[in-house]
Amino acid sequence: MNQVGPDVIHIAGAAFSYGAQPALEGVTATIERGDAVALIGPNGSGKSTLLKGLLGLVPQTSGSLRVFGNTPRAARRITGFMPQTDELDPQFPVSLRQVVMMGRYRRLGALRWPSKADQRVVDAAIERVGLAAHAHTRFGELSGGQQQRGILARAIAAEPQLVLLDEPFNGLDKTNRDALLGLVRDLRDDGITVVTSTHDLQLARDVCSHVMLLNRTMVAYGTVDEALTLDHLERTFSGIGVEIDEHTVATPDHSHGATEPIASPGVDALHDERGPHGSHGAPRA
Amino acid sequence: MSIAEVAQIFELPFMSRALIGLVVLAVAAAIVGLFVNLRDLEFISDGLTHAVFPGLVVGYLVGGTSWILAGALGAALVGAVILTLVDRRRVGSDAGIAVVLASMFSIGVVLISRSDGYVAELEQLLFGRLLTMTDVQLRQIVIVAVLAVVVVGATARLQLFRAFDLRGYRAAGLRDLQVDIALNIAVALIVVAGSQAIGNLMVLALLILPVGTARLVTRKLVGIVPIAVVVAVVTAVVGLVAGFELSVSHGLALSPSAVVVLVMIAVYLVVLLTSQTWLWAARRGARRRADSRAQNQTIGGVPGRTVQGAP
Repeated sequence: MNQVGPDVIHIAGAAFSYGAQPALEGVTATIERGDAVALIGPNGSGKSTLLKGLLGLVPQTSGSLRVFGNTPRAARRITGFMPQTDELDPQFPVSLRQVVMMGRYRRLGALRWPSKADQRVVDAAIERVGLAAHAHTRFGELSGGQQQRGILARAIAAEPQLVLLDEPFNGLDKTNRDALLGLVRDLRDDGITVVTSTHDLQLARDVCSHVMLLNRTMVAYGTVDEALTLDHLERTFSGIGVEIDEHTVATPDHSHGATEPIASPGVDALHDERGPHGSHGAPRA
Repeated sequence: MSIAEVAQIFELPFMSRALIGLVVLAVAAAIVGLFVNLRDLEFISDGLTHAVFPGLVVGYLVGGTSWILAGALGAALVGAVILTLVDRRRVGSDAGIAVVLASMFSIGVVLISRSDGYVAELEQLLFGRLLTMTDVQLRQIVIVAVLAVVVVGATARLQLFRAFDLRGYRAAGLRDLQVDIALNIAVALIVVAGSQAIGNLMVLALLILPVGTARLVTRKLVGIVPIAVVVAVVTAVVGLVAGFELSVSHGLALSPSAVVVLVMIAVYLVVLLTSQTWLWAARRGARRRADSRAQNQTIGGVPGRTVQGAP
């Protein structure tokens, strides 16, 4: 993954703001074709903001940002986005296939009827996420994990060069998680660049080439081995009552009041890399 | 009442005009109403009926009945754009719509109250003149209704995506302001077309009730509009015949459009009740089956856990 390829995303000192205060600042990174970048940070750290920024949906207030050498808005044509599906109306009367076909609308425009080729792309996308048996099921009747895969199929149907995933693994069971991990690998094999926000360090280790740690500012960016160190993690999660030891990194889940593990055994490797320091004390707020 | 007798009623020119007008409106309103339903735009649509009202009045005051259409079209376009912009404010958009609705309606009432015999005119504008429609008016209704269908038909695919998932729609690089204005213009055109026939206030029922009924019956997108059209046409015929019978045979002077709307509401309520009862029975059946399964699993006198909230 070290060969020099054309830059997909080039960000230098970028900040993104909804209002007067920047929601995220100091982002500098070069992301190349076929890279998969995990955005990691606590709730409200700017992960979703960066994804929306890459789509041109959040104003970029300083620095520079090019996606495929263009403005993010212009690059939307070849960018696929998988938002979280929890806000969709479960009663909405569309089938999975109709939802995936929406991925072709940008190409079809308002009036052109889907061609045989469009139909094939849509069926292939559904096949690829393993939901061929559910193509004609009403979208709202699918399970949460299936809905997420369906939305990913919609993104794939647009034949993107860059895919952005917003917390794709939240609340997924093992089957759906494995299916989604396999899909991210497939996308990379096809030379598609993936940027995903996640709470899950294991995901970063398993399928990503790079990691970006965020806490309203960019803490670190680099390959998984370079960036995913205990030192960086402590700085990313400092002040919010995280617990870090060689096996787990946990952050309080504000929405449920429970402690949500954000990484499991995968942090072992991280420990090995830094040598046998033993247990790291958690910075408690 | 036999079919021959019903056919006889519609041989009367004023009744056949009313029927054609209603059927055209109902079909157009069902198509536009699908997206009103999917987008939850019922309140905006109500706002549009009120926004069109002063246009009707100004048209009437300027040039009499034949100018009503021009006034209404002008108000419809202005109202559609204003209400689209108001609705896009995330916070307090309902209050904004209510302010627009109340002010436009008041302006209309103030204007019409300056003319002589305004009570009769107000009634006509609000509740329509279904049985005294002229051929010219019928033609206008057909043209405006077809225009509304063309506007929605041309943007239907984008309307569907936008209604389902606005975030995904924007992320795909598609623009929402244009399709929002297009949909509100289509709704406003239906209001304009319906105003002269069934009245400014009753037209809302045509937009909302048939599609609402259809969505109780089917969960498939392709089924909604055809079912809504059938519901609308059947209720239009039944309502017209009932109104005719009540006024001719029983001497009751009734607004025919109000009778049609009441029939629509009755059908909606019957379907709602039936579907809810059916759902309730299905849930109870599922619960019973789950209970008996739990009973069968009872071991050593410990009762099985009752499964609750089965789908």
